[in-house]
Amino acid sequence: MLRYITKRVFAMLLTLLIIATITFFLMKLLPGSPFKNQDKLTEAQKYALNEKYGLNDPVPVQYINYLGKLAQGDLGLTFQFNGRTVNSMIVNGMGPSATIGVEALIFGTLVGLIFGIAAALKHNTFIDYGAMIIAVFGIAIPSFVFAGLLQYYVGVKLQWLPVAFWNGPEYHIMPAFSLSVFVIATIARFMRTEMLEILGTDYILMARAKGASRMSVIIKHSVRNSLIPIVTILGPMAINLITGALVIENIFAIPGIGEQFVKAIQVNDYPMIMGTTLFYSFLIVVIILIVDILYGIIDPRIRVAGGKS
Amino acid sequence: MNVTEKQLTPDLFRPAEQGTEKSDEITKPSISFWQDALRRLRKNRGAMIALFAIIFIIAFSFIAPLFSKYGIDDQELMRSNLPPKIQGLEKIEFLGVNGVDIRGTNPYELKNVPKDQYFWFGTDGLGRDQWVRVWKGTQISLYIAFLAAAIDIIVGVTYGGISAFYGGRTDDLMQRLVEVLYGIPNLVVIILFIIILDPGILSITLAICITGWIGMSRIVRAQVLKLKHQEFVLASKTLGAPNGRLITKHLLPNTLAAIIVSATFTIPGAIFFESFLSFIGLGIQPPTASLGSLISDGFKSLRIFPHLALYPAAVMCILMISFNLIGDGLRDALDPKMRR
Repeated sequence: MLRYITKRVFAMLLTLLIIATITFFLMKLLPGSPFKNQDKLTEAQKYALNEKYGLNDPVPVQYINYLGKLAQGDLGLTFQFNGRTVNSMIVNGMGPSATIGVEALIFGTLVGLIFGIAAALKHNTFIDYGAMIIAVFGIAIPSFVFAGLLQYYVGVKLQWLPVAFWNGPEYHIMPAFSLSVFVIATIARFMRTEMLEILGTDYILMARAKGASRMSVIIKHSVRNSLIPIVTILGPMAINLITGALVIENIFAIPGIGEQFVKAIQVNDYPMIMGTTLFYSFLIVVIILIVDILYGIIDPRIRVAGGKS
Repeated sequence: MNVTEKQLTPDLFRPAEQGTEKSDEITKPSISFWQDALRRLRKNRGAMIALFAIIFIIAFSFIAPLFSKYGIDDQELMRSNLPPKIQGLEKIEFLGVNGVDIRGTNPYELKNVPKDQYFWFGTDGLGRDQWVRVWKGTQISLYIAFLAAAIDIIVGVTYGGISAFYGGRTDDLMQRLVEVLYGIPNLVVIILFIIILDPGILSITLAICITGWIGMSRIVRAQVLKLKHQEFVLASKTLGAPNGRLITKHLLPNTLAAIIVSATFTIPGAIFFESFLSFIGLGIQPPTASLGSLISDGFKSLRIFPHLALYPAAVMCILMISFNLIGDGLRDALDPKMRR
């Protein structure tokens, strides 16, 4: 197990290093200088500024310095606001982003589990079909289309909930719900398949035969065992939530990382784009790693396969 | 009892044929795996409807723009923001295609648009025909779908196949590369391309080419690894079959089902990826339009001109749901484990 984890951590670090390297050299390739009013500067001033930011050093030295700073988590300064660091922008945006992400994940998982279990228990009834139709729609309809329509009908036409912004708990409902639709659909489908498979096994029949109540068989034997493979879809789902939040934050004008990111791209704030990109990559790579390790712990067969093939 | 005895004469009977050869004979014509799968797919009502919906959308996206005399970027501010109006259907009030907007006014009359002028999906803020823009945007989604599937099949299958078939060092080396590429999020790749090139169809195409095939290569590799050591391949090898024959006659046909299913599921993912980028402004740039950018523009004026967002959103949803349903149908038809 330890060997597997070390191997995966090395692969992860290599991926991050490659992303960081590509990022760095792209920044070097871009035309122009980072100083806005450079035309008014004298040669000496330019030299002093370049010296201050280490831009007079040869590129390999700059690269080493950049990696060193990156290892300490320093992402540099943003162009948009004078003197603000990318780190502080990301930390500021993290609160709202993480909040709706976690809310969507919890709500989506709970509702998805209920849908999936109900569909499996009432297999081939209209509850099953209904839940699966909802699931197909939830997977197929893009989150931005759903969020936009929700905003229009619930926020503008019915005026039940605030249309946008981030001023209190009632502002969380629509964004978190639109984000959770995909989670609900994925978990419901997955849970249904797993439950159906397990409900057909002999040990369920055995448990029923020895006189265990229907409820206890469902909860203790079927649901518990079907929960294990759910770990496998957590990774892709977390990535989906992160990219999904990017659009949802823009639609509902939530001051999260996604909103800042899109704004940074629109105004060509390169350090911010790069910083956020690296942050996103880091997040995604770490999530994939954690999920893989978790799954390795739960299901030993994966470790063997991972080590051999 | 008496009656039946009379009716059952000895000439109605003949001795049962015995012997092992006779009992092994199969009376019904055997059907191949593919015939079986096709039959199952035909029975899946959702998948068949979805298939027709997709054929309809593909045909429409190429034919429909011809019905309008305007191009994708023919601007005319005199006819901006017209609601949809369709000849024949305009008499039926509840369809909402009578050229009257949600405030109850008729901009066709107010703006002196000629009486015989119909904009089936209305016009946008610059007076461009939304009908043409929606279907041209659909073409882009379909191009992305085709591209993603092609890359998946060409690069993914080749890469995974070579990696698994030759094994050993080749496999090790190729898998290390995949591991690194797999860790790089799609979004990061596209942003890098946007910074070097510019937002647009080229950046999206390149991003899909670089990352799109990885999932498929892993699936094909796993399948080939599993098949490679099975007896029928060994038998063929022993009989002196060259590698080319092993691959084309034994390994590929047995992997085909997994390839088809995986490719169909790549398509909605790629369509979503493009429209998502266009929606946040990183994808297709004006004056060309894609469904994502049309929906994004439409949402800005959703309160006054709902038709601008609703039609592209509807086409987008039908397209996504159809591809997902076909994917589900194919998986159920081709995956023996899913058989009930």
